[in-house]
Amino acid sequence: MAAAQGIDPIHQFEVLPLFGGQMGTATFTNASLFMVIVVAAISFLMIVGTSGRALVPGRLQAAAEMAYEFVASTVRGTAGESGMRFFPFVFSLFMFVLFSNLIGLIPYTFTVTSQIIVTFAFAALVIGIVIVYGLYKHGAHFLHLFVPSGVHPVLLPFIVLIEIISFVSRPISLSVRLFANMLAGHITLKVFGGFVAMLLGAGAYSVIAPLPLAATVALTAFELLVAFLQAYVFAILTCVYLNDAIHPGH
Amino acid sequence: MSDKGRNDEDDAALRARLESLSRQLAQKKEGASAPPPVGSDLTGGNVGRAMTLGFRVMSEFVAAIIVGVVLGWQFDVWLGTAPALLIVFLALGTAAGFWNVYRIATQPTGPKRAGDNTK
Repeated sequence: MAAAQGIDPIHQFEVLPLFGGQMGTATFTNASLFMVIVVAAISFLMIVGTSGRALVPGRLQAAAEMAYEFVASTVRGTAGESGMRFFPFVFSLFMFVLFSNLIGLIPYTFTVTSQIIVTFAFAALVIGIVIVYGLYKHGAHFLHLFVPSGVHPVLLPFIVLIEIISFVSRPISLSVRLFANMLAGHITLKVFGGFVAMLLGAGAYSVIAPLPLAATVALTAFELLVAFLQAYVFAILTCVYLNDAIHPGH
Repeated sequence: MSDKGRNDEDDAALRARLESLSRQLAQKKEGASAPPPVGSDLTGGNVGRAMTLGFRVMSEFVAAIIVGVVLGWQFDVWLGTAPALLIVFLALGTAAGFWNVYRIATQPTGPKRAGDNTK
Protein backbone atom coordinates (compact mmCIF):
# COMPACT_ATOMS: atom_id res chain seq x y z
CA MET A 1 0.00 0.00 0.00
CA ALA A 2 1.18 3.50 -0.78
CA ALA A 3 0.55 4.63 2.79
CA ALA A 4 2.87 1.98 4.20
CA GLN A 5 6.06 3.99 3.77
CA GLY A 6 4.41 7.08 5.22
CA ILE A 7 3.76 5.55 8.61
CA ASP A 8 7.25 4.72 9.78
CA PRO A 9 7.17 7.01 12.82
CA ILE A 10 10.88 6.67 13.62
CA HIS A 11 12.09 7.67 10.17
CA GLN A 12 11.90 11.39 10.98
CA PHE A 13 14.59 11.11 13.67
CA GLU A 14 17.22 9.57 11.42
CA VAL A 15 20.46 11.51 11.27
CA LEU A 16 21.81 11.39 7.72
CA PRO A 17 24.82 12.97 6.02
CA LEU A 18 23.49 15.90 4.04
CA PHE A 19 25.94 15.91 1.15
CA GLY A 20 26.29 12.17 0.70
CA GLY A 21 29.32 10.16 1.75
CA GLN A 22 29.95 8.21 4.93
CA MET A 23 29.18 9.28 8.49
CA GLY A 24 32.36 10.57 10.07
CA THR A 25 33.10 12.57 13.19
CA ALA A 26 32.57 15.93 11.48
CA THR A 27 30.00 15.12 8.79
CA PHE A 28 27.50 17.87 8.08
CA THR A 29 24.18 16.11 8.73
CA ASN A 30 20.56 17.19 8.63
CA ALA A 31 20.82 17.69 12.40
CA SER A 32 23.73 20.09 11.87
CA LEU A 33 21.74 21.91 9.18
CA PHE A 34 18.82 22.49 11.54
CA MET A 35 21.13 23.62 14.35
CA VAL A 36 22.50 26.22 11.94
CA ILE A 37 18.96 27.20 10.96
CA VAL A 38 17.96 27.55 14.62
CA VAL A 39 20.97 29.72 15.43
CA ALA A 40 20.35 31.80 12.30
CA ALA A 41 16.68 32.32 13.24
CA ILE A 42 17.60 33.41 16.79
CA SER A 43 20.33 35.72 15.49
CA PHE A 44 17.89 37.21 13.01
CA LEU A 45 15.28 37.84 15.70
CA MET A 46 17.72 39.39 18.17
CA ILE A 47 19.99 41.35 15.82
CA VAL A 48 17.42 42.63 13.34
CA GLY A 49 14.81 43.03 16.09
CA THR A 50 17.00 45.22 18.27
CA SER A 51 18.78 47.12 15.51
CA GLY A 52 15.91 49.60 15.11
CA ARG A 53 16.04 50.70 18.76
CA ALA A 54 12.66 52.32 18.35
CA LEU A 55 11.08 53.83 21.44
CA VAL A 56 7.78 52.32 20.33
CA PRO A 57 8.80 48.80 19.28
CA GLY A 58 7.60 47.23 16.07
CA ARG A 59 6.51 43.61 15.90
CA LEU A 60 9.98 42.09 15.63
CA GLN A 61 11.44 44.35 18.30
CA ALA A 62 8.51 43.60 20.60
CA ALA A 63 9.14 39.87 20.17
CA ALA A 64 12.84 40.28 20.93
CA GLU A 65 12.09 42.42 23.98
CA MET A 66 9.47 39.98 25.23
CA ALA A 67 11.95 37.12 24.97
CA TYR A 68 14.51 39.13 26.93
CA GLU A 69 12.04 40.26 29.60
CA PHE A 70 10.62 36.77 30.00
CA VAL A 71 13.97 35.08 30.56
CA ALA A 72 15.26 37.94 32.70
CA SER A 73 12.27 37.76 35.06
CA THR A 74 12.63 33.97 35.23
CA VAL A 75 16.31 34.24 36.17
CA ARG A 76 15.68 37.04 38.69
CA GLY A 77 12.75 35.24 40.28
CA THR A 78 14.54 31.91 40.64
CA ALA A 79 18.23 32.65 41.18
CA GLY A 80 17.99 36.20 42.52
CA GLU A 81 19.78 39.31 41.32
CA SER A 82 23.19 37.60 41.57
CA GLY A 83 21.93 34.96 39.14
CA MET A 84 21.83 37.59 36.42
CA ARG A 85 25.51 36.93 35.64
CA PHE A 86 24.30 33.66 34.14
CA PHE A 87 21.64 35.42 32.11
CA PRO A 88 23.49 35.13 28.75
CA PHE A 89 23.89 31.39 29.30
CA VAL A 90 20.28 30.77 30.32
CA PHE A 91 18.99 33.00 27.53
CA SER A 92 21.00 31.20 24.85
CA LEU A 93 19.91 27.83 26.20
CA PHE A 94 16.25 28.81 26.38
CA MET A 95 16.18 30.35 22.91
CA PHE A 96 17.98 27.40 21.33
CA VAL A 97 15.67 24.85 22.91
CA LEU A 98 12.56 26.92 22.15
CA PHE A 99 13.48 27.50 18.51
CA SER A 100 14.50 23.87 17.97
CA ASN A 101 11.17 22.74 19.40
CA LEU A 102 9.15 25.23 17.36
CA ILE A 103 11.01 24.74 14.07
CA GLY A 104 10.74 20.98 14.55
CA LEU A 105 6.93 21.30 14.49
CA ILE A 106 7.00 22.46 10.87
CA PRO A 107 6.45 19.44 8.60
CA TYR A 108 9.54 17.99 6.86
CA THR A 109 11.90 19.57 9.38
CA PHE A 110 14.21 17.86 11.83
CA THR A 111 13.85 18.33 15.59
CA VAL A 112 17.29 18.84 17.09
CA THR A 113 16.03 18.43 20.66
CA SER A 114 14.60 14.99 19.90
CA GLN A 115 18.16 13.61 19.97
CA ILE A 116 19.14 12.54 23.49
CA ILE A 117 22.79 13.36 22.86
CA VAL A 118 21.91 17.02 22.21
CA THR A 119 19.77 17.40 25.33
CA PHE A 120 22.24 15.46 27.43
CA ALA A 121 25.08 17.68 26.24
CA PHE A 122 23.06 20.72 27.39
CA ALA A 123 22.25 19.12 30.75
CA ALA A 124 25.89 18.08 31.27
CA LEU A 125 26.95 21.64 30.45
CA VAL A 126 24.51 23.03 33.03
CA ILE A 127 25.64 20.65 35.77
CA GLY A 128 29.29 21.19 34.82
CA ILE A 129 28.86 24.94 35.22
CA VAL A 130 27.07 24.41 38.55
CA ILE A 131 29.93 22.27 39.91
CA VAL A 132 32.78 24.39 38.54
CA TYR A 133 31.23 27.72 39.57
CA GLY A 134 30.15 26.40 42.96
CA LEU A 135 33.63 25.05 43.77
CA TYR A 136 35.32 28.17 42.39
CA LYS A 137 33.09 30.56 44.29
CA HIS A 138 32.58 28.73 47.57
CA GLY A 139 35.35 26.13 47.67
CA ALA A 140 34.63 23.31 50.08
CA HIS A 141 31.57 25.17 51.34
CA PHE A 142 29.85 24.13 48.11
CA LEU A 143 29.89 20.55 49.41
CA HIS A 144 27.50 21.65 52.16
CA LEU A 145 24.90 21.25 49.43
CA PHE A 146 25.09 17.54 50.18
CA VAL A 147 25.09 17.88 53.98
CA PRO A 148 21.80 19.29 55.26
CA SER A 149 22.02 20.83 58.70
CA GLY A 150 20.20 19.44 61.71
CA VAL A 151 20.37 15.76 60.79
CA HIS A 152 21.08 13.08 63.39
CA PRO A 153 24.72 11.86 63.00
CA VAL A 154 23.58 8.24 62.62
CA LEU A 155 21.42 9.15 59.62
CA LEU A 156 23.95 11.54 58.09
CA PRO A 157 25.84 9.06 55.83
CA PHE A 158 22.57 7.86 54.29
CA ILE A 159 21.30 11.40 53.79
CA VAL A 160 24.57 12.43 52.14
CA LEU A 161 24.43 9.41 49.81
CA ILE A 162 20.81 10.17 48.94
CA GLU A 163 21.66 13.81 48.27
CA ILE A 164 24.55 12.78 46.01
CA ILE A 165 22.35 10.35 44.05
CA SER A 166 19.71 13.05 43.79
CA PHE A 167 22.32 15.50 42.47
CA VAL A 168 23.69 13.00 39.94
CA SER A 169 20.16 12.26 38.73
CA ARG A 170 19.61 15.91 37.79
CA PRO A 171 21.34 15.95 34.39
CA ILE A 172 19.62 12.67 33.52
CA SER A 173 16.14 13.86 34.39
CA LEU A 174 16.78 17.25 32.76
CA SER A 175 17.88 15.73 29.46
CA VAL A 176 15.50 12.77 29.35
CA ARG A 177 12.47 14.97 30.01
CA LEU A 178 13.09 17.28 27.06
CA PHE A 179 14.13 14.45 24.75
CA ALA A 180 11.20 12.21 25.70
CA ASN A 181 8.63 14.96 25.33
CA MET A 182 9.84 15.89 21.87
CA LEU A 183 10.24 12.28 20.72
CA ALA A 184 6.85 11.17 22.05
CA GLY A 185 5.07 14.20 20.63
CA HIS A 186 6.45 13.76 17.14
CA ILE A 187 5.83 10.02 17.12
CA THR A 188 2.23 10.59 18.23
CA LEU A 189 1.69 13.16 15.49
CA LYS A 190 3.16 10.84 12.89
CA VAL A 191 1.11 7.85 14.04
CA PHE A 192 -2.14 9.80 13.96
CA GLY A 193 -1.24 11.21 10.55
CA GLY A 194 -0.56 7.63 9.43
CA PHE A 195 -4.04 6.58 10.66
CA VAL A 196 -5.60 9.12 8.32
CA ALA A 197 -3.71 7.73 5.33
CA MET A 198 -4.45 4.12 6.30
CA LEU A 199 -8.17 4.75 6.84
CA LEU A 200 -8.49 6.59 3.53
CA GLY A 201 -7.08 3.52 1.80
CA ALA A 202 -9.40 1.10 3.66
CA GLY A 203 -12.58 1.27 1.58
CA ALA A 204 -15.75 1.81 3.61
CA TYR A 205 -13.80 2.69 6.76
CA SER A 206 -12.65 5.89 5.10
CA VAL A 207 -15.74 7.64 6.52
CA ILE A 208 -14.05 7.76 9.95
CA ALA A 209 -10.81 9.12 8.52
CA PRO A 210 -11.64 12.70 9.69
CA LEU A 211 -11.47 11.54 13.34
CA PRO A 212 -7.68 11.03 13.46
CA LEU A 213 -7.34 14.14 11.30
CA ALA A 214 -9.12 16.18 13.97
CA ALA A 215 -6.92 14.55 16.61
CA THR A 216 -3.84 15.55 14.62
CA VAL A 217 -4.99 19.18 14.52
CA ALA A 218 -5.62 19.18 18.28
CA LEU A 219 -2.30 17.43 18.95
CA THR A 220 -0.42 19.98 16.85
CA ALA A 221 -1.79 22.77 19.02
CA PHE A 222 -0.91 20.77 22.11
CA GLU A 223 2.61 20.15 20.80
CA LEU A 224 3.04 23.89 20.33
CA LEU A 225 2.23 24.33 24.01
CA VAL A 226 4.56 21.48 24.99
CA ALA A 227 7.36 22.96 22.86
CA PHE A 228 7.15 26.22 24.78
CA LEU A 229 6.59 24.66 28.20
CA GLN A 230 9.54 22.28 27.85
CA ALA A 231 11.86 25.12 26.89
CA TYR A 232 10.55 27.06 29.89
CA VAL A 233 10.98 24.11 32.25
CA PHE A 234 14.51 23.55 30.94
CA ALA A 235 15.39 27.21 31.54
CA ILE A 236 13.81 27.39 34.97
CA LEU A 237 15.45 24.18 36.20
CA THR A 238 18.78 25.51 34.91
CA CYS A 239 18.15 28.58 37.08
CA VAL A 240 17.23 26.42 40.09
CA TYR A 241 20.44 24.40 39.75
CA LEU A 242 22.53 27.53 39.22
CA ASN A 243 20.89 28.96 42.34
CA ASP A 244 22.36 26.01 44.25
CA ALA A 245 25.80 26.99 42.96
CA ILE A 246 25.33 30.65 43.91
CA HIS A 247 23.81 30.02 47.35
CA PRO A 248 24.87 26.52 48.42
CA GLY A 249 24.01 26.95 52.10
CA HIS A 250 20.76 25.21 52.99
CA MET B 1 -35.56 74.82 45.86
CA SER B 2 -36.61 71.39 46.93
CA ASP B 3 -35.74 70.12 43.49
CA LYS B 4 -32.15 71.30 43.84
CA GLY B 5 -31.94 69.75 47.30
CA ARG B 6 -32.99 66.42 45.93
CA ASN B 7 -30.38 66.71 43.18
CA ASP B 8 -27.65 67.25 45.77
CA GLU B 9 -28.91 64.27 47.71
CA ASP B 10 -28.84 62.15 44.57
CA ASP B 11 -25.33 63.34 43.79
CA ALA B 12 -24.13 62.44 47.27
CA ALA B 13 -25.73 59.02 47.08
CA LEU B 14 -24.23 58.41 43.65
CA ARG B 15 -20.79 59.48 44.79
CA ALA B 16 -21.00 57.19 47.82
CA ARG B 17 -22.02 54.32 45.59
CA LEU B 18 -19.19 55.07 43.15
CA GLU B 19 -16.68 55.10 45.98
CA SER B 20 -17.87 51.81 47.41
CA LEU B 21 -17.76 50.28 43.93
CA SER B 22 -14.24 51.45 43.24
CA ARG B 23 -13.16 50.18 46.65
CA GLN B 24 -14.60 46.76 45.83
CA LEU B 25 -12.89 46.85 42.45
CA ALA B 26 -9.55 47.71 44.04
CA GLN B 27 -9.96 44.86 46.53
CA LYS B 28 -10.76 42.46 43.73
CA LYS B 29 -7.74 43.60 41.74
CA GLU B 30 -5.50 43.17 44.77
CA GLY B 31 -6.81 39.67 45.32
CA ALA B 32 -6.28 38.74 41.69
CA SER B 33 -2.75 40.06 41.43
CA ALA B 34 -1.58 38.44 44.68
CA PRO B 35 0.76 35.51 43.96
CA PRO B 36 -0.92 32.10 44.10
CA PRO B 37 -0.25 30.40 47.44
CA VAL B 38 1.65 27.36 46.15
CA GLY B 39 3.54 28.74 43.16
CA SER B 40 2.50 28.66 39.55
CA ASP B 41 3.40 25.01 38.93
CA LEU B 42 0.58 23.51 40.92
CA THR B 43 -2.20 26.04 40.40
CA GLY B 44 -2.02 26.12 36.60
CA GLY B 45 -5.25 24.32 35.84
CA ASN B 46 -4.68 23.53 32.20
CA VAL B 47 -3.67 20.16 30.88
CA GLY B 48 -0.32 21.23 29.45
CA ARG B 49 0.96 22.56 32.72
CA ALA B 50 -0.33 19.59 34.68
CA MET B 51 1.29 17.19 32.23
CA THR B 52 4.55 19.10 32.41
CA LEU B 53 4.51 18.78 36.18
CA GLY B 54 3.66 15.11 35.90
CA PHE B 55 6.52 14.52 33.49
CA ARG B 56 8.84 16.34 35.86
CA VAL B 57 7.83 14.22 38.83
CA MET B 58 8.14 11.01 36.81
CA SER B 59 11.51 11.82 35.28
CA GLU B 60 13.05 12.93 38.57
CA PHE B 61 11.79 9.81 40.31
CA VAL B 62 12.92 7.40 37.61
CA ALA B 63 16.27 9.13 37.07
CA ALA B 64 17.19 8.81 40.74
CA ILE B 65 16.43 5.08 40.76
CA ILE B 66 18.44 4.55 37.56
CA VAL B 67 21.39 6.44 39.00
CA GLY B 68 21.19 4.36 42.17
CA VAL B 69 21.15 1.09 40.23
CA VAL B 70 24.03 2.09 37.93
CA LEU B 71 26.15 3.26 40.87
CA GLY B 72 25.47 0.07 42.84
CA TRP B 73 26.16 -2.13 39.83
CA GLN B 74 29.44 -0.39 39.07
CA PHE B 75 30.62 -0.51 42.69
CA ASP B 76 29.77 -4.23 42.71
CA VAL B 77 31.93 -4.76 39.64
CA TRP B 78 34.82 -2.82 41.18
CA LEU B 79 34.66 -4.31 44.66
CA GLY B 80 33.47 -7.83 43.76
CA THR B 81 30.57 -7.79 46.23
CA ALA B 82 28.11 -9.27 43.77
CA PRO B 83 24.55 -8.25 44.60
CA ALA B 84 25.00 -6.53 47.95
CA LEU B 85 25.78 -2.97 46.90
CA LEU B 86 23.29 -3.13 44.04
CA ILE B 87 20.51 -3.77 46.54
CA VAL B 88 21.74 -1.07 48.92
CA PHE B 89 22.05 1.53 46.17
CA LEU B 90 18.71 0.55 44.67
CA ALA B 91 17.11 1.33 48.02
CA LEU B 92 19.09 4.58 48.31
CA GLY B 93 18.14 5.54 44.76
CA THR B 94 14.48 4.94 45.49
CA ALA B 95 14.79 7.08 48.60
CA ALA B 96 16.48 9.80 46.53
CA GLY B 97 13.63 9.56 44.02
CA PHE B 98 11.05 10.10 46.74
CA TRP B 99 13.20 12.90 48.11
CA ASN B 100 13.21 14.58 44.67
CA VAL B 101 9.43 14.30 44.40
CA TYR B 102 9.03 15.61 47.95
CA ARG B 103 11.18 18.61 47.06
CA ILE B 104 9.10 19.37 43.98
CA ALA B 105 5.96 19.16 46.10
CA THR B 106 7.18 21.36 48.95
CA GLN B 107 8.89 24.12 47.02
CA PRO B 108 7.53 24.41 43.51
CA THR B 109 10.06 26.16 41.34
CA GLY B 110 7.77 28.79 39.95
CA PRO B 111 8.99 32.24 39.01
CA LYS B 112 7.56 33.75 42.20
CA ARG B 113 10.12 32.52 44.68
CA ALA B 114 12.05 35.70 45.27
CA GLY B 115 11.59 35.44 49.03
CA ASP B 116 13.61 32.24 49.37
CA ASN B 117 16.69 33.51 47.64
CA THR B 118 17.91 36.17 50.02
CA LYS B 119 19.98 33.81 52.15
